Amino acid sequence: MNSPVGLADLLLISPVIVLFLFSLVPLVTKVTNGNQEQNPKTTLITAIMGLGISAGLLILFGGSDQTIFNNQLLFDGLTKWMGLIAIIAGAAGIVMMSENPSTHFEQFSETVFLAMNSICGMLILISAVNLITVFIGLELMSLSLYLMIAMSQEQKLSKEAAIKYFVLGSIASAIFLYGVSFIFGSVNTINVTDLMQIASTAIKTDKLFLFGITFVVIGFCFKVSIAPFHAWTPDVYQGAPTPITSFMATAVKVASFAAFLRIAATQVFQGSQNLIDVIQWLAVLTMIVGNVAALLQNNLKRTLAYSSIAHSGYILAGVLTVGLSANSAYSAATVIFYLLTYSVMTLGAFAVLSMIEKSENDFISTDSLAGFAKRQPGLAFCFTIFMISMAGIPPALGFFGKFYLFGAAVNEGLIWLALWGVINSVVGVYYYLRPVVNMYMKEGDANISNEKQYASTVLVIAAAMFLIVVGIFSGPLFSMIERSLS
Amino acid sequence: MENNLVSTSILSLIIFLPIVFAIVLALWPQKNTIRELALGFSLIQLGASLFLLKDFDSSTAALQFVEKFNWIERFGISYFVGVDGISIMLIMLTTVLMPIMILGAWNSIDQRVKDFHVALFVLQSAMLGSFLAMDAVLFYTFWELSLVPMYFIIGIWGGSRRIYATVKFFIYTMSGSVLMLLAIIFMMRLTPEVTGGAMSASLLDFYKLKIPFVGGEFFTPQTLLFFAFALAFAIKVPLFPLHTWLPDAHVEAPTPGSVVLAGVMLKMGTYCYLRWVIPLFPEAASHYSWLFISLGVIGIIYGALVAMVQPDVKKLVAYSSVSHMGYIILGLFVLNVYGMNGALYQMLNHGVSTGGLFLLIGMIYERTHSREISKYGGLASAMPIFTIIFIIVTMSSIAVPLTNGFVGEFLILMGTFQYSPGVAAVAVTGVVLGAAYMLWMVKKVFFGPAGEIVKAAAHDPAHALHDLTTRELVVMAPILILILWMGLFPNSIMDYSKVSVDHLLKNQQNYSLEVE
Repeated sequence: MNSPVGLADLLLISPVIVLFLFSLVPLVTKVTNGNQEQNPKTTLITAIMGLGISAGLLILFGGSDQTIFNNQLLFDGLTKWMGLIAIIAGAAGIVMMSENPSTHFEQFSETVFLAMNSICGMLILISAVNLITVFIGLELMSLSLYLMIAMSQEQKLSKEAAIKYFVLGSIASAIFLYGVSFIFGSVNTINVTDLMQIASTAIKTDKLFLFGITFVVIGFCFKVSIAPFHAWTPDVYQGAPTPITSFMATAVKVASFAAFLRIAATQVFQGSQNLIDVIQWLAVLTMIVGNVAALLQNNLKRTLAYSSIAHSGYILAGVLTVGLSANSAYSAATVIFYLLTYSVMTLGAFAVLSMIEKSENDFISTDSLAGFAKRQPGLAFCFTIFMISMAGIPPALGFFGKFYLFGAAVNEGLIWLALWGVINSVVGVYYYLRPVVNMYMKEGDANISNEKQYASTVLVIAAAMFLIVVGIFSGPLFSMIERSLS
Repeated sequence: MENNLVSTSILSLIIFLPIVFAIVLALWPQKNTIRELALGFSLIQLGASLFLLKDFDSSTAALQFVEKFNWIERFGISYFVGVDGISIMLIMLTTVLMPIMILGAWNSIDQRVKDFHVALFVLQSAMLGSFLAMDAVLFYTFWELSLVPMYFIIGIWGGSRRIYATVKFFIYTMSGSVLMLLAIIFMMRLTPEVTGGAMSASLLDFYKLKIPFVGGEFFTPQTLLFFAFALAFAIKVPLFPLHTWLPDAHVEAPTPGSVVLAGVMLKMGTYCYLRWVIPLFPEAASHYSWLFISLGVIGIIYGALVAMVQPDVKKLVAYSSVSHMGYIILGLFVLNVYGMNGALYQMLNHGVSTGGLFLLIGMIYERTHSREISKYGGLASAMPIFTIIFIIVTMSSIAVPLTNGFVGEFLILMGTFQYSPGVAAVAVTGVVLGAAYMLWMVKKVFFGPAGEIVKAAAHDPAHALHDLTTRELVVMAPILILILWMGLFPNSIMDYSKVSVDHLLKNQQNYSLEVE
């Protein structure tokens, strides 16, 4: 073993270091100012600067296919793209936090500190190739998150959500770790790059290894809310302040799926038909549970929580495709593309919710949107774009995301899975259109906030334009992602 | 054909001008000139399509005015548009109906006028796009996009049960088309065998595919793909028993919405049978033609019988649409030259005559706010000009000789007779039933003892019925001209499509299109 840390290592890890240093700035300023909270705008600008520099460094050094710290972290195309998506989604969450009534008060600096550290954890999780490092990234990300959820001062629900998420998240982590120990016990390595050579044969011969992989998969299923491990999701998403819900639904999910994708890319599933069957049916079950339960909700935040479960089902189908695929660059690109699509439309929808919330104790029901289009036509139009994109109607980006994802599934012969996917997206249309019906086709004087929130407005407009413009010209972006993976 | 920019990109111009118009309208600052502006725009659009018609070469079946650019290169998806004798008919139908519709909606849409016209132009663009697209993904994009503005048109400006109707419309149509999406993905995967390696979504490459077919077995690729496409289009047409969304949508939609729905949107379904289903899956289409013929005939009879008992005049016309669309499907699937020419002609006829009926119903509804047949009676004395026009359009709808409807239905029945005299005999009863319910309706509304509404008008000047205004006459004039023109000189119109239809029938088992 050579010197443990070289210059190359530092360059590659620099996005994480920069992020951590910038996360300290608001906190230190607050302490030196006699514990006086500074203007949230200043904090926001600091955070965005940090995230921007970090994203820039990630683009510069990220996709170089090098490993650092003695094979702990790998910086390849997957790291670059997933990292970027996580940073963008995280930044969007912080923008919302700076203006949402439940997060932008006395403890905003602390919240931002935690959020940025959570993103650090995500970057580690995304780049980790050693299962123990994966665990460290997972925990750094989750622990910051538990605290963020609980930070809100008034709301009882958020405390409940934090505890619930903490307990269940810990169990998931324990299951994951348990699985890792079995893997180490049976094949003597927990490095994903090593597993790539042996996994698909070991899983046939070694029952303990199969056991270990299954537990690792279940651990991830918890994190990305795959049914039947999804039960925490609606409660936690509903209880947390809306910007933090958006943060969880987008950035956290992207990072967890990135690590899941690394496991799948070892082609370990190819050795076990049982495992393939189970994952396939978990994906279908998740789509059905998410979509059907979303039909029954009136609380818009809960609807979006179930919709995010349904989307997890689609993405799991994509992850399975990667696991079975010989041309995994193509399949992985479809998953990354879908995660990007999903993140942008989800954060857009949550941003609209976050803007129209009056206080943290009040919730936005689907009915309360009645007449919204007359009062705020621009915002209503953007929200419509998010809903149409989620429903998968062209030319919005959501359609092309699904098109690529199901295309890859058909390519691997998973036609039944794709069939379930498209059938479910019809079910989705019903509840995605319901807010639109209320906004445009009903009269009402809703009890929602009309306060101007400039940063969030910019965010919403940017997300909506992204969905339409990139939707129409999605080809180049997809090819770019695919090229950087191969 | 001169080689300037306008004529080489005329199809893109036709597809995307409405989008530009929609954006201009959305940003237009003056509220009170929106209608005039929209009417002007729709006339420009009509002019552009006439320009296309002038340069169109009807002596060849080849695809003309083709434009092709890479769109999503990775999957061989391109922006590929072209027009042939089949699609040009529907382009003209769309652009001719548009100004009529805007003028017809002049008073009936009085809220959110700007939004309405924006939606109308986006809808027009999507419909024209799906008629002209020669690439599967491009086509799917336009096909789905057309749902969104229609959803708003019914949902915002519709009647009391508009939300139910519009959601039903959206979900029905969408559920058909997702299976088609899967079929498109599947076919794109097959294309490397004809393109020599690269994937392609071009319809011309799809035509070259030889998809395995085993007669009598359902689970063969061609049969499954055939049904995936056919189902999507059958819902749109709508074919019995998938028609239930249509009466709801028609009754709740505002007048211009009904016109565009009956006039153009339903034709998207039947057109796509001609463009996609029959040439792409020749064996399956012949093998299962009995199914579509039976459903078509059932639709004809069923639609007519249900129309007969409707108390609401708009619902009556909606069910008559189900019946008429049954004829078109019948004409398509007998797969002979009479049937197919008749079906294409009937698509135009139905657009003109049913569109005209909905406009007329809209005019009377604006005056009386009632569509119940039982409340009318004796209207002929109060509104003589209206009565005459209504009767002429009715004659067209029930296919009286010298009107356009006669030509279409006659050709379809002739084709059906060639296919099987028995089927033709059953289908002919639809003509009789059609005449029965329409004439019965005309009798009850216009003649006989004065009904509630006419009585009220005679006693109370506030409810007085005035005859058609100049604007309304201008709206109806082109429809009347078309009805008579298409009835008297059918060849002047069919000549445009004849070569393309012949080409399709001759080469049905091995269809291909050349690019000019």
